[in-house]
Amino acid sequence: MHYELFIALRQIRARKFQTILSVGAIALAVMVLTVSQALMVGFTDELYNTTVNKLPHVSVSPQEDEDYIYLYRTLVDNIEKVEGVSAVSPFLTGKASFRFKTNSYNAELKGVLPLKENNISDIETDMVEGDFRDLEYSRNTIVIGSKLADKLEVNPGDSVNVSFPNANPLSLRVVGIFHTGSPLDESLTYTSLDTAQEFYNVPDVINGLSVRLEDFNRDREVAAKIEKTGYKARGWTETNPEILRTIAIETTSNNVILGLIVVIASFGVVSALNLSVIGATSQIGMLRAMGATIFSIRTIFVLQSGILGLLGALVGTLTGIAASLGIGQYEMPAASSELYGGLTTIPIVIRIGDILVIILAVFLLNLIAGIYPAQQAAKLDPVKSISSK
Amino acid sequence: MTEESPIIELKNLTKSYKNGMEFRALDNANLKIKKGEFVAIVGPSGSGKSTLMHLIGLLDTPSSGTLLIDRNNVTNMSDKERSEIRNKMLGFVFQYHHLLPDFTALENVMMPLLIAGKKRKEAKETAEKLLKEVGLEDRMDHKPGELSGGQNQRVAIARALSCSPAIVLGDEPTGNLDTKTGDMIYELLRQLNKEYNQTFIVVTHNDDMALKADRIIRLVDGKITVQ
Repeated sequence: MHYELFIALRQIRARKFQTILSVGAIALAVMVLTVSQALMVGFTDELYNTTVNKLPHVSVSPQEDEDYIYLYRTLVDNIEKVEGVSAVSPFLTGKASFRFKTNSYNAELKGVLPLKENNISDIETDMVEGDFRDLEYSRNTIVIGSKLADKLEVNPGDSVNVSFPNANPLSLRVVGIFHTGSPLDESLTYTSLDTAQEFYNVPDVINGLSVRLEDFNRDREVAAKIEKTGYKARGWTETNPEILRTIAIETTSNNVILGLIVVIASFGVVSALNLSVIGATSQIGMLRAMGATIFSIRTIFVLQSGILGLLGALVGTLTGIAASLGIGQYEMPAASSELYGGLTTIPIVIRIGDILVIILAVFLLNLIAGIYPAQQAAKLDPVKSISSK
Repeated sequence: MTEESPIIELKNLTKSYKNGMEFRALDNANLKIKKGEFVAIVGPSGSGKSTLMHLIGLLDTPSSGTLLIDRNNVTNMSDKERSEIRNKMLGFVFQYHHLLPDFTALENVMMPLLIAGKKRKEAKETAEKLLKEVGLEDRMDHKPGELSGGQNQRVAIARALSCSPAIVLGDEPTGNLDTKTGDMIYELLRQLNKEYNQTFIVVTHNDDMALKADRIIRLVDGKITVQ
């Protein structure tokens, strides 16, 4: 063990009260940082699960200058074989006007193959009434969003009139109602692909494909592979950039505030260390007389700051992890469940990488913060230091 | 190195402070000290005794002139080189012991050896031997706060000797002690000097002590008057 470390450790141990205060201040800041990070990651994950998982991870659209994709069955087979793709669902979608009794609203009518559509979305779990698969079994049926159902005042079993300029008007029977908690509840309806083709008066074609991936983070990479088939493919980060942007903004502002907390705590260590330099003046002078270089004196004090920072970071992350797990156990009141999108507990995700980064960053920050008091100690004139008692 | 070559040589060594007016704490000092000599430096307060001590101890830098230690010019060396000479060739005993309060007597004596890069075990053995020599074998694990003034000063002497320095510098090493203890410490220094043939330079106010030295150097107003 180098003597600088020997002295640094001994002085930290000798100044118990000051050490406890310094470590405590950093630990408190690091604890807040750890808990906040676990909450942030938890909420981000939750956001991905509720938002991104319901989006098509990759959307495929017709070739340039084309309105439709012809011969889509081969294309579906080909895309299903692309590495990273877990499911593909073809659709034919467009605007339509819905009328029931005197109520009339416009919404999207999306024709799908129900079994395939269910593989790429959570639609079956979002059903509040009826069965999504009924679309498959009986013709001229429709599944509509809960808000649109309320506005039209329709119930399962009712038939709505669907029409649009240049389309074949149809009467479709409501077989189910879904509720996602998103704006889709008043803007989207599902029917079978056959029915949609009949309505829009087109042959067996589609105007898009939704693709689900094994890992939604690889959307751009897989989209590029799909584009080799000759069709336009865009990942969700391209079609919905605001999701990533929202997360990035929140993460950044969060990190800035937390960073400041840690900096403030480190300042506490600096001022405590500065006092101890003043208290140790004659010892520093004697160490110089014994042959300690200016560099060594500086090292002793930078080490003290770094060690205090490391201790604070370790205590802080441990208590932070314990506090996070405690928060994760907390059951939210059932009444507020709807408000939080059906969450029953607070989502908490502790990532070992985050913990390591926090510990390393706090340690380095304290090493840097220790430079000022260390410099004060190193600058002391040995003659004057020894003359002072 | 021949017997005659001085271990310390000062050539026109001057230390001045400019504070409005120039003040010469040490004025053109020329001095040669032989290996194994026990030299007492005397003079009224403010005569430059401590300045001379600090310059020879490489704790301070001269304004002009040259200082040779063991025939090496140390005047313009870097901090690292000067620190190494302080560590390997010089031992210090000050009026106040300046022991590190958080370390035991043994650890304090080990410290110069650790600074020199010696192994813990080796440093411990040397330190134990030295503490026995100054009569503190049963106080090794005590911290300075648990020892008397005389005991602490003996620890400080053991520390000054731990790296077997060629030169030991004492700045009123007995100044803080009662006469009896002071005499004991002084006898100890004299005895160690004879035993190890190390060069001792001791600043003192005490004429009785000065008379026991091989040579007395008197300083008045920064000038060496008697050699």
